[in-house]
Amino acid sequence: MSAKVDIEFTVNGAVRQVSVPADMSALDMLRDQLDLKGAKEACGEGECGACTIIVDDASVCSCLMYAADCDGRTIETIEGVQTVDGLDPIQQAFVDQGAVQCGYCTPGMVMQAKHMLAKNPNPTEGDIQRGLEGNVCRCTGYRKIFDAVAEAARS
Amino acid sequence: MSNIENYLAPSSIEDAAAALAAGPATIVAGGTDLMLQTGSGQKTYAPTLINIQKITEMRGISKDGDTIRIGALTTITDLLTDAIIAEHLPVLATMADKFASDQIRNASSIGGNICNASPAGDSIVPMLMYKAEVVLVASTGTRKVPLNEFFTGPGKSVIQENELLIGVDIAVPPAGFKGGFGKFGPRPALEIAMASVSVGGVVKDGVISDVRVAFGAVAPTPIRSAETEVALEGKKLDEETISAAGEVASSSVNPITDVRASDWYRRHLIRVMTEEILNDVS
Amino acid sequence: MDQIVEKPETLIGKPIPKPDAPDKVVGKTTYINDMVLPRMLIAKIKRTDRVHAKILSVDISEAEKVPGIVAIATAENSPKGLIGVLKDNPPLKGDKVRCIRDEIAGVAGETEEAVDEALNLIKVEYEDLPTVFDPEEALKDDAPLIHDNKPGNLSLTFDFDHGDIKKAEKDSDIVLEEKYELHYVTHTCMGPGCVIADFDTHGKLTIYTQTQYPYNYKMDLAPALDIPAGDIRVIQPPVGGAFGSKLDVYPFEPIAVYLAKKARRPVKLFFSREEEFIASPTRQPARVYIKQGAKKDGTITFRDVNVYLNNGGYTSWGATIPAVMMRTMTGHFRIPNVEFHSKAVYTNNPFAGSFRGYGNVQATYVTATLMDKMAEELGMNPIEFRLKNAQKPGERTPQNSLLKTAALADCIKIGAEKTDFLEKHTANVAAREKPGRIRQGIGIATSIHNAGGAKIHKSDGCGTILTMDDYGRATVITGASEIGQGIDAVITQLVSEELGIPTSDVIIANNDSAIGPWDVGVHASRTTFIAGNAARNAAVKAKHQILAAAARQSNVSADQLDLRGGHVVQKDNGVSVTKLDRLLRAMHFAGDDAELVMVSEYYEPPSELEDKNHVGDISAAYSHGAYITELEVDTLTGGVKLHKMTCVQDVGKVINKLGIEGQMEGGIAQGIGYGLSEELIIEEGIVKNPNFRDYKVVTAPEMPEIECHFIEDDEETGPFGAKGISELPCIIPGASIANAVYNAIGVRFDNPPITPEKIVRALHGDKVEAAE
Ligand SMILES: Cc1cc2nc3c(=O)[nH]c(=O)nc-3n(C[C@H](O)[C@H](O)[C@H](O)COP(=O)(O)OP(=O)(O)OC[C@H]3O[C@@H](n4cnc5c(N)ncnc54)[C@H](O)[C@@H]3O)c2cc1C
Repeated sequence: MSAKVDIEFTVNGAVRQVSVPADMSALDMLRDQLDLKGAKEACGEGECGACTIIVDDASVCSCLMYAADCDGRTIETIEGVQTVDGLDPIQQAFVDQGAVQCGYCTPGMVMQAKHMLAKNPNPTEGDIQRGLEGNVCRCTGYRKIFDAVAEAARS
Repeated sequence: MSNIENYLAPSSIEDAAAALAAGPATIVAGGTDLMLQTGSGQKTYAPTLINIQKITEMRGISKDGDTIRIGALTTITDLLTDAIIAEHLPVLATMADKFASDQIRNASSIGGNICNASPAGDSIVPMLMYKAEVVLVASTGTRKVPLNEFFTGPGKSVIQENELLIGVDIAVPPAGFKGGFGKFGPRPALEIAMASVSVGGVVKDGVISDVRVAFGAVAPTPIRSAETEVALEGKKLDEETISAAGEVASSSVNPITDVRASDWYRRHLIRVMTEEILNDVS
Repeated sequence: MDQIVEKPETLIGKPIPKPDAPDKVVGKTTYINDMVLPRMLIAKIKRTDRVHAKILSVDISEAEKVPGIVAIATAENSPKGLIGVLKDNPPLKGDKVRCIRDEIAGVAGETEEAVDEALNLIKVEYEDLPTVFDPEEALKDDAPLIHDNKPGNLSLTFDFDHGDIKKAEKDSDIVLEEKYELHYVTHTCMGPGCVIADFDTHGKLTIYTQTQYPYNYKMDLAPALDIPAGDIRVIQPPVGGAFGSKLDVYPFEPIAVYLAKKARRPVKLFFSREEEFIASPTRQPARVYIKQGAKKDGTITFRDVNVYLNNGGYTSWGATIPAVMMRTMTGHFRIPNVEFHSKAVYTNNPFAGSFRGYGNVQATYVTATLMDKMAEELGMNPIEFRLKNAQKPGERTPQNSLLKTAALADCIKIGAEKTDFLEKHTANVAAREKPGRIRQGIGIATSIHNAGGAKIHKSDGCGTILTMDDYGRATVITGASEIGQGIDAVITQLVSEELGIPTSDVIIANNDSAIGPWDVGVHASRTTFIAGNAARNAAVKAKHQILAAAARQSNVSADQLDLRGGHVVQKDNGVSVTKLDRLLRAMHFAGDDAELVMVSEYYEPPSELEDKNHVGDISAAYSHGAYITELEVDTLTGGVKLHKMTCVQDVGKVINKLGIEGQMEGGIAQGIGYGLSEELIIEEGIVKNPNFRDYKVVTAPEMPEIECHFIEDDEETGPFGAKGISELPCIIPGASIANAVYNAIGVRFDNPPITPEKIVRALHGDKVEAAE
């Protein structure tokens, strides 16, 4: 067993303190220790984006990030996107545009879309396609996801 | 089974160097290589894991006189938007645009890309072209090694167990310098290069000089190609020169065949991309 | 004042979001991979590292000692029953291993770490056996035998014969003879394989599974378990995709059950992504020899098809794909004389299952490229030659598929018109002669697929129970599974349309075999058609019951009444007679006359089983599609960039606009992967690229623009006229791309995927050409 590391960080606005094995991934910590199972492990090798979270304003694959490295950082997961008033405009657009089928890639897609729109509020279609290049979807053929991101950008 | 006994997250280069001096340690930056390689058993952890991400002085790009320092923790994403890079080392931004995906670029550090010493490491190829030097720090002192002399094999370099790569230094290229980077994988994104090329030089009145040519994914390490450089140095960049250089480039490499590509195709790509960049800069 | 309820616009054809989408976008949906049951153990599988070997011994003694290990299942200590289409696959291998997927032991423990450690400590001794990897090699007399009881390594064969191909060949003006090598691809569902097994105290099994085939699943699973099928309860939590991969039982599922039984605790067994690549089924690879003849005027005279299927070590659904392949080979275009013969042959490769398109992806790649080759040979253009041989409405194929509406010619004509196909096609051919690095290409491919179910089982039906609560909500208990494809939205829509209630007032219950009535599973593009009909019919029955009660209350006859906006109204003027919920309560609480609205429907489509000669009209409807691809080829790197895919398909009727487009686009992405980039590389039985890095699914920047033209020909037997549509989009693109690549560069690829390296090799041979 690897040494435990005590860390403190902000997740979805709340300060959390946990003790994690030094070799644990942020994804495993979120899912298994914080019961935030929205981020999915679909490949575990950074190739599919289903585990995307936002760390200090940058989207990353949480499967490749060390949990210990969350210390002192601000993290947003899919569970933090929805507001008390309801769905975030990006989430609403995913629903309305039919961008969700099996939905396994959806949390990662939404997080990446959110990051993309934060950096570039008026993306072209090409920007959207490139912005989602690290997120694999096997159901939708992406077109409806492009529509959803474009719709969210408009609103 | 992994067995990390100590975890350290120093916040200065000094503290990191001291920790490295204390005994065998594994350094982690973005973790995009390390997590995968330890997970698959390709690599095992030393007893101490040192997370260097809190060393803020190691992130960012600065210019001091004619030398540009790229801190080891600078991410690939940083290269895309940095003004110094855009002005003086634009080929690094071209490279960054072809690197992995947004999420991976956001996490990947330059230092990690270099120290991982992959034959296909994308940032290495244009940095070889720019004649970068790596800056290595140990508790005993600092040394600089030309990137060209840094790699010794796949995953291997001259970095010592007690050393930390803190950044790379690149001399501002001379006036009239033009360069390019090409990488080929079948998809537009998320590709490990089947082959990559960076070519640069001073182009004046159609003649190229101070030529530097570097290739990735066609040898055990990223390489400079002296033969191709000779074939170009002082020549007029006309169709004939370009085609001859492409010929030299492809015959100068001796790549492997694997699931991604055959040796033949890799050589072909080297030629195509070398010529393409030369056509662009001519 | 009378309340007037206006007739609402129909919901049919509207974009209706999936009811489960909101939970999915907020990360709330609990997929099977996310589930945790109290006291649940973690389990994994010890696999072989050989492709053909005798097992001399399996030693689990060290593994058992690892703290936290609760149960280890091996062939020796587990039930001996077999699984698979031919019951040739022991979930745990005791005597020998036949392919790299093979399972030696299952290990269940308290933590993943303990399980991993135990797996490493299991020692297996083998004696390697001679291997064979090629189906034609495996048929030879001296080939190693994979299963002792399968002489000649033969798994399944299919043979069909119609007319006289010998004579037709003699009468032909031209004959083309071609060989195709169709590759391995795999589903890469985003949710990796996972199963949870749990026994209750009566010894009855609850299995949480990704199956898309829940009722047959019991029957297929039971033989391996030593428990009666009736004692199995199948629960289908949300899954991360299926695409056909979950139509059969695979060894990991019984293994989880063995472990749960031994441990007397719930056991969750799951795959890593690497394991998903190695140990889940693939699309069936195929070697196809095909001969086709035609008259000078372009009339096709015959087809002669011989197929060798690499069956791998065991027989799953892959070996049965000729059932679908044959329909296209014999019945796509008018083929007066035809023979089809296929052999699935055991080898030491991994084995194939079913995958969206089911044999028709392969058949269409072959036939659609052959049609182009033959057109060129005849000096005809690809449109003209196809139109010459397209069937007319009312024709029957040699296997007796009745093409009631036969929109094939329309699909082709519309596609050609919308894309200026012929002008571009001619211009691109001319441009090949001129210098230039980038070449433009346009290509067409067409196919046919069953669109009204497919009677491959004795029943192709679906059961539905519909009940109404006291508040006007309808609960639809359907046998149909939701695996992401969107039947939840379709059923919601059909039921609200009939009952005049909002879609949010329809609740679907469909994930528990203890509750749901029987259905034959999500496959064969059947669910909207079959389950849709069942749900709609149930809703109509409920409506009759409600209107009859309203008529009794209101003195207006039932045929003058309608349901609208949560009211019972007078049909002609929309005047509300009563609110629906009030009526339902009145019906429910009527003392001795109390009635609950609670109806059931078992819908069996009007189709027939094939006879032993493979003749039979297996589907209530068929659908055609013509897909046109526009692309460019970089002749120096071999890179292909897709510009646009224009798809014309006869769909009967669009029910859910979002759903149908989503199915089209998603299928197309998989079809593009088949044609251009995806290949599971298997060398000497070993999977060489078990990861997303080197197994290249289509990513966002690669998606072309997609333009769909739906021909709505109102299928009389479909729900509101709809047909099943979801496999054609995956079936046609590969061939369409191949034809477009040919148009661009004049090279044919009979061995997809058409990778950049293949293109460059074909164009430049071994010489390395200069850039311009
Ligand atoms: C999906 C995916 C796609 C990728 N695509 C590309 C691509 O297109 N091109 C490409 O080149 N690479 C690619 N990579 C590889 C990887 O992302 C890069 O090599 C990245 O730059 C590594 O940086 P890191 O900070 O994550 O390194 P880490 O994983 O943290 O470290 C890598 C290695 O370097 C050592 N190290 C790190 N920093 C230092 C330092 N300052 N001093 C001494 N040693 C150090 C570590 O000990 C480790 O051995 C990809 C990886 C993934 C997962």
